[in-house]
Parts: sequence; structure tokens; C-alpha cells
Amino acid sequence: MFCVVARRFWWLGVILGVEPGVLLARTQLVSLPVREKVEIQLTHPRTTLVEEERTLPLLKGSNAVNFAWANTRIDPASVIFRVVPGAVPDSGVEVLSVSYPPNENALVWRLSAPEAGPVKIRIAYRLEGLEKRFHYRALANHDESRLTVTQFMALDNLANESYDLASLWPGFGERWQRPVGIQETKEVATARFAAVPVKKTYTCDPVQYGWLDAAQKKLHVPMHYVLFNDAAHGLGQAALPAGKARIFQEDGRGGSAFLGEDRAAFTPLDEELPLSLGLARDIVVKRTLERNDKKRLAGNLYEYDWVVKFEVENFKDTPAELSIVESVRAIRRELLGDKPREPEWQLGKDHSLGTADADKSDADRLQFRLILPAHTASPLVGRLHLILKNEW
Amino acid sequence: MSSLMLRGVFLLILLGLVPDAPARNIDLASVPERTEVQLTIYNAEDLTLVRETRILAFAKGQNPLQFSWANTLIDPTSVELRFLDHSGQLMLQDTTFPHDKPQMLFWNVESQADLTAKIEIGYFISGIHWTADYTALANPDETALRLEGFVRVDNQSGEDYPDAQVRLVIGSIHLVEKIAQLARIPVTQLEGLERTQRQELKKRALRQVMEKDEMAMGSVMAMSPPAPAVALERPKEIEKQGLSEYFIYTIEGTETIPNGWAKRLKSFAAPRVPLAVQYRYRVAEYGDQLVRLYLAKNDKPSGLGATPLPEGSLQALRENPSGGMRFLAVLPLKYVPIGDNLELNLGEDPEVVFKERHLATRRDELWMRYTQGNLYRKVGEGDMRLDLDSSVAGWNEHQVWGQRIHNFTGRLIEVEIRRAYGGDVVFTSELNPKLHDFQTVEYLTRVKPGEKAERRYEITQKQGYNQKQNRVQLQTGRVHP
Repeated sequence: MFCVVARRFWWLGVILGVEPGVLLARTQLVSLPVREKVEIQLTHPRTTLVEEERTLPLLKGSNAVNFAWANTRIDPASVIFRVVPGAVPDSGVEVLSVSYPPNENALVWRLSAPEAGPVKIRIAYRLEGLEKRFHYRALANHDESRLTVTQFMALDNLANESYDLASLWPGFGERWQRPVGIQETKEVATARFAAVPVKKTYTCDPVQYGWLDAAQKKLHVPMHYVLFNDAAHGLGQAALPAGKARIFQEDGRGGSAFLGEDRAAFTPLDEELPLSLGLARDIVVKRTLERNDKKRLAGNLYEYDWVVKFEVENFKDTPAELSIVESVRAIRRELLGDKPREPEWQLGKDHSLGTADADKSDADRLQFRLILPAHTASPLVGRLHLILKNEW
Repeated sequence: MSSLMLRGVFLLILLGLVPDAPARNIDLASVPERTEVQLTIYNAEDLTLVRETRILAFAKGQNPLQFSWANTLIDPTSVELRFLDHSGQLMLQDTTFPHDKPQMLFWNVESQADLTAKIEIGYFISGIHWTADYTALANPDETALRLEGFVRVDNQSGEDYPDAQVRLVIGSIHLVEKIAQLARIPVTQLEGLERTQRQELKKRALRQVMEKDEMAMGSVMAMSPPAPAVALERPKEIEKQGLSEYFIYTIEGTETIPNGWAKRLKSFAAPRVPLAVQYRYRVAEYGDQLVRLYLAKNDKPSGLGATPLPEGSLQALRENPSGGMRFLAVLPLKYVPIGDNLELNLGEDPEVVFKERHLATRRDELWMRYTQGNLYRKVGEGDMRLDLDSSVAGWNEHQVWGQRIHNFTGRLIEVEIRRAYGGDVVFTSELNPKLHDFQTVEYLTRVKPGEKAERRYEITQKQGYNQKQNRVQLQTGRVHP
């Protein structure tokens, strides 16, 4: 097969009738073997690896093979030439050298072949401009107990090259085969998870979410759908890549309503994925500092006795789960200003928020869980009683 | 005879000229071709030693030779002429650098007879570089690595070098003594030299070293002539030779590297290098993250170990069971001496989750310092009364930490944690740690597939008056949050 070389995009050619050592003249007649297979590996978070398979007609002895990529961003140092393992057992084809002509996006392999004939080869290279991103669409059932989650991968092809039949693999799930044209964005559903149990939670955290009304001491209370990335919760096939999540809810009349969207963080296996759906108005949390006592232990050494009081009301007609999050360091900053030392504390006898969640709490952060009954007639009152020890 | 080109190195025998009047506008010249050329490329200083041989016919009497190097990066002060035969009958009488032709010189050679002689012209040229690069392809179960090394020679010197023998110098030579010697100053005063002067002296010192080594090696062109033509070419061998503190790679046969071109050749291939995978947390080296490493060794059992691995970039990949490849990382490889470890940092692994958690703080051994005098009393001991004029002067702070490692890889993994602590510290744990240095603790742990492990330890930092030392002590004990 002979043809005139089109210098757009990239091409692979076996240079015919040219003494392999003399490659300076860059006007050439070449044989262009077609791509037979293309694999686009999207397994790396930032780098795309393309592998293409072709059959090279080689002469016995030395052969020059030209690979050029005009107007595309291939890293020339990344190009790897391999004879397809197993396709021709011990073909004996070897790369003698690679030459890089000046001012061209091209390279010339000099190959030696023990016999004349076709050889199946693979060329791999890193390519910029072919990038993936993920997003999610979740549909909640009417009572918000389960979600149908669809994960999509979009491939933006700004690499200035088209792939007619490329096999794309994001590193998990199934490989899919689609043509990808120049400047195209190709989107496919990479996974679909039905009936994923979802937990609806409310959280107040003055450090992370701030105040709804600082004068009235009322906190913001965002609502989250919390998914758990494990098999028991309908997921757990692989880590979930970061991406935008749009959430809808069945409206009970065959349609759906848009609830909101959030940016889903990268979620490893066995980890929670919280998706924020905005602020709840029917759950009110009022936070006040009820006690601020101190006791001198010696000289400038003090012990502090603090009580943070929470008054919680649930105006919803369903029970709700509220997470109360506090930072001991933030409370100390509120009352004493910045201090260089880690706070040493223990819970006092007036504490009434229960045991902190060990998994989500540490030396500074405390997280407590309250179950709020529907329609609280009067505010539920809980207290965080902290004894701050050995402060100066 | 040949016409002159605008670029390149030329040697002309000027015909019909009297020796003391070479600079005419119209000359007749004979242009002897190069017969052999050798490039020794030394990357550290962008310097390449070129030795080229030519066959010249000399007439009895004076023979003016013109050597020119238009638009090339030759250092004029480095050009030398040697007679490889008939040296008893040929004598270089003088060298002239004409003021109006900066890239040219004239040699006057006195010949005692009509003869044909082989001469060698040596000079230093800039603009020829070489780099090493590597491809490391792990097998699907990550137990072995196919490691291939390459050298790439890039010619931006302005001169074509057809059929050149190419030698690559690996390593950096310590030249301080030589520079001081050339500058005729003590080593301690080298810092006072101007940068450009130091650079120039460094190049001169390097030349001396390279020339000495050339002498030690003899004529490499004579040692390894171009390989005879064979029916089927094979990839060229690259001979590795240790010399003093550096290595020289000599590419078998000759190579043609035109100006502007680059050429890449395989330096070695080790098809099955034993491979271990380790996860490491070392903030000082890898930042605040747990990274995955491929560990191998540059030694004979690995199919390596014949030469140090020069620094260069490495592309790490892993074979998929289906036959394709998975890209892992591109990373800079530092110089790896023979017998040393090859450590390839592949970055974070999303299948291994690592989190450090500070779980608790408590303080004890509190000491107060009285403003008047140097009296100290321990809080809580004896019949002590409050004294408003005292302040905390010393204490021990205990911090309990947990390192969570969740392994979702499907295989047992080995994790090495290394952390430095400043001050007077006691590290308490049941982790069987060891000290990497006086303030750095290191421990190894294994995490089973699917396991969510948390390794706990307590740091006791003796602060203020309590701090008597600046080091970490290891202590075995159970840790309670």
C-alpha cells in the first residue's frame, strides 16, 4: 500500500527504498500501515496513554520506520515501540536506533528483521489533550431512602486526532469501544448502581458551616445525602472518582424534581460520600456558651470549665439525624484567643450529648449524633461540658 | 577540491601561497576529507572533545593549512594539530589566528619530504549533549521489572558528524584543586573569583583531566574499530568502562548524527529484574503522603550491576493481564551506583488510604518557676501554696497518634513509616520501631488485603525546663488514647 503522506495529525510509515543510515532527506515515499486497534488507557489521574496496533511490512535486514505527529502533543520521550507479545513468537525484530529529525514532531526507528514479512507491532505514547472527567446523576425515590446512581465519564478530545475505534478504559469497570472525533466530547455511562441506600443527615459545625444568624446564635444546618462506598450499600466496586453530582427526586407523578448539586470528592472504598443539598430550614440549632469558669492551679496555670449549650428544634414531620460537630481549639480561640499548645481536655459531668463518634472524632474535633423526633414540641437541650486542663 | 559551505568545519591545504601571506580574498585550496572522527561528550560542562583524522599530502618545504569552523561552537583556544605518522619529518612551525576572520586559523607545517601523512585535529565543541532515559515495565503481578536503558545524543553544535565514534562520559569530576592551580590562588579563595572566570577555569581544568584520561586509554579509535558489515544488524553494544570517578560509555561502531538531529540507542536491557513493592511515608522525602515504590537493585542477580545507572528520566509502566500497558509515572532517576538500590516513587495509590490522626493530648510533670530566684516546685507535690509570681517553666506533653492504613489492593502490603521529632522526645509504642537517626523514628508494618489497620503510638515531648536533651528515645508500651 503506497500513498501520499498527509502531514496533518500523525502517521506511521515504512520508508521504502531508502538506505537506513541516510535519513536526512525528509521527502519520502512511505508505506502507511493502518491502525488495527487502539487502546486509550485512562487509568492515571493526569496522564493518558495511547497504544495502537499496526502490522508493519518489513524487509529482511534494516528497515526505517517513520512516526510523525504534526499538531498534536505527544511526548517524544514517551514513545515505546513493541512487537506484540505472542503475536509472532520470537519474531527477532529489534530496534537498532531512534533518530529525531530537527524541527519536526517525528522520529525514525531503524529496525532489523531476520525475515521479510508482516509484523504486528504496538506503539505506545503519552498524549496531552485527551482528558477524562467524571460526573454523577442520582435519582432519589419518593421517601429519600434509596438512590439510583449513574456514573458518567466524559472524554474531551482536544488532542487534534480522531480515533475511529478506540477501546477506552478508565481503570475500573468495563472497557468500552467508541469512535472519538477531533474536538469531540464523548460521554458514556461507566456504572449504574440501583437502589443504593442513602442516609439523610443534618449537620451543624460552626467552623465548617458557620452561622445562620450570629446575633441569635443560630447555626447553619446543611442537609446531606450520605452514601457508603461498599458492597453492603450497593456500591464498593472501586474508588469513586471526584466529579459533579446532580441529584433529582421522584415526584410521585412519574416525573422528577431537581434537588441540587454538589461536587463529590474522591471516595476510596469503604468510605462515606456526603453530598450536600443545601441548608435545612426546618431544623433549628441554637448554640450558646453557657459557662466560662476558670480555676488557678498555680501561678499562671489554669483549669477552665466550659459548657456549650445546644437547643435543637425539628419542625419536620419525620425524625431526623443531627450531627453536632465542635472543635475544642476553636472554642478555646473563641474564649481565650490563640494559644500555641494543643488543648488538653476531658468531658465534664454536665455533658449530655452522649459519646463522641470515635471514627470521626480526634484530639480536637468532636462529633456527636442526635436523633430528633418529628415535631419537637419544645427545644431539645444538649450540653457539651469541657474541662480544659493545664492551660497558661 | 570542493566549494566552501557556510556552516561547518573545514581543513584546507592552501595551494600556491607563500606561508606568511595566507589571508587573500581569492584562494585555491584542497579539502581533505575526514577519515575518522570521535566524539567524547561530557555533559557536566556542555563540552565535547572531538578528535578527527584526515589524510593530507604534504610537499617538501612549507605547507600552509587553513582550519575554519564557521557557525559552529568550537572553542578556538582548544584546537590542536597532531601528526599520527611521519612525525619525525613534519613539524608545526606556527599557528596564526587572523584578526579579521574569527572562526579560522592557519598552521604552517614544515615537511622534510613529499609525503602523505595522517593527522589528527582535536578541539572542544559545545552544543552536543547526551541524556539517559529508562523504560521500566512491571509484570502484571508486580514481581519483576523489564528495565531498558537508553542514551540519546543531541547534536546542536552547528556541525554534522557522519560516522563518528561516540563516547559518553558519566559522572562529575571534582575540579576545585585544578581550578585553584590554574588560577594560581589557594582553594579557599576560589569563591572570590568572578563567575565567568570560574567557568572558564573549570572548562580548562576539565580539558586537562579529559586529555589525561585520553592518554590513559590510548587511542580508542584504534582499540575498537567500526564493526564489519554483517548480514543482519543487531542493536549496538555500548561498552561501559570505569575510569577514575566516572564511567565512559563507548557506542559500538560509528554513528551519524547530523546537526540538529538526535539519536537514541539502547544502552542495556534487563528482562527480569526482581521487584518489591513498598509503601512509604517520609515527609522529608516524599511530602505529606503515603507513596508506593518499586524497589530493585542495580546488581548482578538482577541482571544489572555492570555499570552505574546515569541520572535520567524513567517512564514506569505496568503490563495489564490483557497485554496492554498501564502508565504509572514519569520520574527523575538519580545516579544509581553499582550495588545500590533503585527506588521508583510511583506516587499515591488510590487503593491504599492513609490518614494520620491526633487522638489525645495530656500534660504532666508541670514545673513552675518563681520570678524571684531559681526556686522550682512541682505542681501537686507537697504542701504548696499558690504563688502569683510563678509561671509554667517545664512540662511533658503526651500526644497519642493513630496512623490508619486501609488496604484495598487485594494483596499484603508492606508499609514503612518514618517521622522526625524535634526536641527531647520519648516514642512509646508496640510497633517495634528503630531510630533512623537521633530524631527520626522508623517502623515497618504489614497490612493484609482488605484490612483497615490503625497503628498507635504516643509521643512524649519534654518541654521548657524539662527538656534536657535533643533526641528521641524509644520505649515499648501499650498506648491508650
